[in-house]
Amino acid sequence: MKSLRVFFLGGLISYRALFSWMTPSIFFLILVVQPVFQILLFAFIGRAANLRSDEFYVVGNAMQYAAVPCLFAMTQTIAGERYQQTLGYILISPAGRLPLFLGRALPVILNGFFTAAFSLLVGGLILGVTFPTSVFAPLAVVVLVSSLSCTGLGLINAGLGLRIRETSVLSNLLVGILLIFCGANVPVASLPDWMARISSWLPLTHAIEAARAVAHGNSITNVQGLLGRELGVGVIYAVAGLAIIRFFETQSRRHASLGIA
Amino acid sequence: MIEAINLRRTYQTTTGVVRRKRLDVEAVRGISFSVDQGELFGLLGPNGAGKTTTIKMLITLLLPTSGQARVLGHDVVDDAREVRKRIGYVFGGDRGLYERLSAYDNLRYFAELYGVSGHRQRQRIDEVLELVGLKGREKERVEGYSRGMRQRLHIARGILHDPEVVFLDEPTIGVDPVGARDLRQMIADLITVGKTVLLTTHYMFEADALCDRIAVIAKGEIVGQGTPAELKGNVAGGRVTEIEVFGVDEATVVRLRGVGGVSAVTVEEQDQKQLLIVQTTGERELTQPLLAELDGVEVGRVASREPTLEDAYVALVTAE
Repeated sequence: MKSLRVFFLGGLISYRALFSWMTPSIFFLILVVQPVFQILLFAFIGRAANLRSDEFYVVGNAMQYAAVPCLFAMTQTIAGERYQQTLGYILISPAGRLPLFLGRALPVILNGFFTAAFSLLVGGLILGVTFPTSVFAPLAVVVLVSSLSCTGLGLINAGLGLRIRETSVLSNLLVGILLIFCGANVPVASLPDWMARISSWLPLTHAIEAARAVAHGNSITNVQGLLGRELGVGVIYAVAGLAIIRFFETQSRRHASLGIA
Repeated sequence: MIEAINLRRTYQTTTGVVRRKRLDVEAVRGISFSVDQGELFGLLGPNGAGKTTTIKMLITLLLPTSGQARVLGHDVVDDAREVRKRIGYVFGGDRGLYERLSAYDNLRYFAELYGVSGHRQRQRIDEVLELVGLKGREKERVEGYSRGMRQRLHIARGILHDPEVVFLDEPTIGVDPVGARDLRQMIADLITVGKTVLLTTHYMFEADALCDRIAVIAKGEIVGQGTPAELKGNVAGGRVTEIEVFGVDEATVVRLRGVGGVSAVTVEEQDQKQLLIVQTTGERELTQPLLAELDGVEVGRVASREPTLEDAYVALVTAE
């Protein structure tokens, strides 16, 4: 019961504690306006070069932009504590680390989901890409799974935040890597072999493929393999992230590597 | 309740960019002390003496390099979680709080982390808010709080889960005199409700007024331990002569140290003048021989007084 409270209530309060600087106007600009700009940029490049349909870019970029809140916000759940000098108080608490840090992932996943879903909607409306209402529910499932796997990667970056301070640089780097590798704008099949091999181990790659299939009318059962792989990738990253947090927490006690209080 | 046995902590640090050199810094060099139930124990020492490192080891934030420490019978290394459940800790300073949350939400979050049950939370938060005098202000965001209010909130958070042992690391630092007085009363109140407190502070009058016993740390080692009265008696012994001077040089201070019966001389810079604090042993009146050594130096007020804890402290930490 206590762990459940830490997971749900603790996760929610800490999200408010760390992200209440994000007023509705900032939230709107960063997580709604910016992804639409990205969608429009790549869609117009696609049109000018006569490459792919607008739908290809709307789906790819809307999904890819979920990486921004998932990576940055998840990373901030530790880096932000470090900045506010509250990390020591968290680490000396007897709260279980699993509910403590996974609980922080929950609002981040919902944030990523909202960003991707809203970008799909607004980007589609601006470019005249319409989706039949029948694909809304399966598309929502795909978006949720992609946010989850991306947050798993964010958890690794968050864990690194216990050792290094430059996690924002890493988040930017990861967003760039995902933009190129995960098939948002260039189909994975068109990438060089070595890049395609890396793609299959990154979050979003399978989800974007699944989202495009669903947008074309495939049912959720048709893409369950892709979703399973996407989820698997996310779980691997999340487990690795928790292991990194555990490792660096122990190291911080041994080597005094955290400047706390 | 708290026991430190030959506790040591060494940090590794590096210098240089290209040819990096690793250095070992001994922050705590084998200190031992114990704190009894219901006792208010003070750790005094200059900056970098090892006070905060000691506290960090006792609250499980740092592993000792060697030695042992137990809190309420639980080893701080092997039984860290049990220790964490039973202790509260308060670091001085105005950081370490969630600025954009209200005081109430700050406390609510830590109540969750410490497993204070849902139905008990509201009552307990009200109790600690009342105790630290923040009742009525709890719905305001912390970013609008003064330093004193933040420090009260730190204390409220530290005792929220009703811990048996509370660690206070310079809790009144940077707080105005009236606020600091209130905080000292709050700390004294912790003892009346049965808590055991380990306090670090730079303020001697604070330690003198609050602590049952004190350990003085210098360069990572305990150089004196006892009640405030014992420390004053053991170290200073005799009297203290304070002499205001204008432009005293180091050679003169060295000569003063050589006067028979002088145990320590410290120089306190005060704008354009200096205050020489001369500690003497025995009952012999040394004002005349001291003034004789100050020949040629402009001298202002001269006063003789009983030794304070600060004198004892200065003598301990400056002793070779």
